[in-house]
Amino acid sequence: MTSPNQHQQSAAKPEPTRALADRLCDWVVTVDHKKLGIMYVAAGIIFFVVAGLEGAAMRAQLAKPGNDLIDPATFNQLFTMHGTTMVFLVGMPILLGMGNYLIPLMVGARDMAFPRLNAFGFWLFIFGAVLLYFSYIGATGLYGTAAAPDVGWFAYAPLTSRTFSRGNATEYWVLGIMVSGFGSITTAINLITTSLCMRCPGMTLMRMPLMVWMMLVVGVLVITALPVLTASQVMLLFDRQLGAHFFDTEAAGSAVLWQHLFWFFGHPEVYILVLPAFGFVSEIIPVFSRKVIFGYPLMVAATVAIGFISLGVWAHHMFAVGLGPELNAFFAASTFLISVPTGIKVFNWMGTMVGGRIRFDSPMLFCTGFVAMFVLGGLTGVMLAVVPFDWQLSDSYFVVAHFHYVLFGGVLLAIFGGIHFWFPKAFGKMLNERLGKATFWFLFIGFNLTFGPMHVMGILGMPRRVYTFPPDRGLDLWNLISSLGVLVQCAGVLCFVWNVILSLRKGKPAGDDPWDAWTLEWATTSPPPEWNFDRIPVATSRRPLWDQKHPEDPDWKYE
Amino acid sequence: MGRLSRILHLEWDGDTRDAFSDSHARFQAGRMGMWLFLITLGILFASTIFAFVVVRLQPDPATGWRPTDEPGIPGILLISTAVLLASSWTLTRASAAIVGDQRRQGRQWIERSLILGSLFLVLQAVGWIDMWRAGVYIDSSLYGWTFYVLTGLHAVHVLGGLIPMGVVAARARRGTYSRLSHSGLTYCSMYWHFLAGVWIVLYLTLWLGSM
Repeated sequence: MTSPNQHQQSAAKPEPTRALADRLCDWVVTVDHKKLGIMYVAAGIIFFVVAGLEGAAMRAQLAKPGNDLIDPATFNQLFTMHGTTMVFLVGMPILLGMGNYLIPLMVGARDMAFPRLNAFGFWLFIFGAVLLYFSYIGATGLYGTAAAPDVGWFAYAPLTSRTFSRGNATEYWVLGIMVSGFGSITTAINLITTSLCMRCPGMTLMRMPLMVWMMLVVGVLVITALPVLTASQVMLLFDRQLGAHFFDTEAAGSAVLWQHLFWFFGHPEVYILVLPAFGFVSEIIPVFSRKVIFGYPLMVAATVAIGFISLGVWAHHMFAVGLGPELNAFFAASTFLISVPTGIKVFNWMGTMVGGRIRFDSPMLFCTGFVAMFVLGGLTGVMLAVVPFDWQLSDSYFVVAHFHYVLFGGVLLAIFGGIHFWFPKAFGKMLNERLGKATFWFLFIGFNLTFGPMHVMGILGMPRRVYTFPPDRGLDLWNLISSLGVLVQCAGVLCFVWNVILSLRKGKPAGDDPWDAWTLEWATTSPPPEWNFDRIPVATSRRPLWDQKHPEDPDWKYE
Repeated sequence: MGRLSRILHLEWDGDTRDAFSDSHARFQAGRMGMWLFLITLGILFASTIFAFVVVRLQPDPATGWRPTDEPGIPGILLISTAVLLASSWTLTRASAAIVGDQRRQGRQWIERSLILGSLFLVLQAVGWIDMWRAGVYIDSSLYGWTFYVLTGLHAVHVLGGLIPMGVVAARARRGTYSRLSHSGLTYCSMYWHFLAGVWIVLYLTLWLGSM
């Protein structure tokens, strides 16, 4: 590897005299995977704040029974946009964006395989996102007024038919998601090709960092699942615009078909979101436990198994449809089955921590929180896979609690962990540790306050997606606690935003390898030069940087 | 460097900063990217066909699948199928010619493929006009709907394939392709053969479905 000094010279910052327009232009025309990755994450965080505020508005409405802060029609738009945004404009861009940033660095490559396609994908995502949000001012809704889509994030037929969704808000939902989906597909093609074709010398498949393995499987899931959504959205568009009756049961179409097609995309989508999070955690926990990951080959096998099984569990979202006992039994069984490789991962993370010299810096705090919360979300998932139990609680707040434990307590905590871990690499500045810990505790406590009570609300019978509830059904207190938790979460997000602004301006210089880590992204400067590595590194084991730092005790001796 | 030239030079030049060690590595990555793209498209078509099968298996009890006054799949599609397969064959001839260092023949075979590909679209359009004249509309029955959507989805992809094929033809005219370097032609052929394969499956599906 080259000396750090050499890097610093080559990665010199643009001189301050350059016009702002010139520097902005740099970002617009860039094909650099690192700049694109940063833009993905930045856009994702902006949408996270927007969708978070939509969620907060809903919780404000539900803080007390019979509240009339928000009218029912607006409430429908809020939960639709909240869900759609969080999945497609927050989770996908942040996770794929971090993959974009990290995968070439981790495999020792100079860029993604198709840099221009990569930039194209990013701008498609932005275009789709703007299209979706333009609906707030541009779309016409039920009463001819401006309206966002209000059909729920899974947009079931026949609610989406022209009869029940007047105006063109649903078209904005379809086209916005479709366009940003094309962007995700290009990113997935890039991720797979990069991790298979562009590994540096010595980096065999079984030496790839686990993050790369997980992003590889994510890429496969994206190209398998997203085209199905695109196809069904095209059909929906035809139904609405050209008067076809594909999802119209009265005209011999099939409304259940939409559910099948949507969830064939929708459930792999959950793993598209959660596998990168697994990847972050699998990179961070070993570094802060000062141990190699426990059971690397099993982790890889579990990841691939999750990828396969996740394509065969979709109808567990449809137990209430009445598919018949055979299909229900099959999908219940496959759902139980997928918890096995997931459980393997949880045990491997714990096995990595056991006996380690654990440092609870902020990235590790987030990851520990992730493991605990994700287990809770996973367990309620197994409960919901029991068909009669699901019949009882389908479409109740118990389901809302379940997937928020998976997606917030799981994915989002891991994202925050990943951002706190790799921020020094991307910007050359450390995040403030005290603010980082405050972010964690506010988010962790606020999250549990908001979503914990939802389990109880669901079991008490509160349905999801209803804009208010009657008093004296035992729901008042739980809803109030849930709404108050939002304030605590807001404090966490404010801490985070303040931390980023503060650290970008006057953060401690990070140096190349602030965490004493092992993977190749830490072998170059922070931030890395445009070409990543002056000389292409050579991987000698699963921890190439460890081997360089410890020539007396390299890993390859044990492989 | 001016801003405009930076916009125009979106790609690195082949210097030490090139992300690929050599052109073969670049080609291998490109081929893999193309395969992944084709898999994506394959799934798009497969899910559309799946949806077709689902609605086909539960026809409207009153009218049946194909209303009695609506005609079957137009016969001209048989001719268009032959034309598309022929264009696929001419494209393999083009690759063979380029690999055999016969650039002029290669160029001619590519141009023939281009003409046959365009002819395919014309024949499909004639088929649609026939159906339309016979009173099969997109909103008249699911039979009509699926016919237009399945053939239309494929036609859009053929149209999208003619553009890169036109670029390939122009490059072949300029003599860009040689025995050792013709990756553009390879990618184009992969896509084209894929579309021919998809069409056969689609055609059989529609034909069986219309019975």
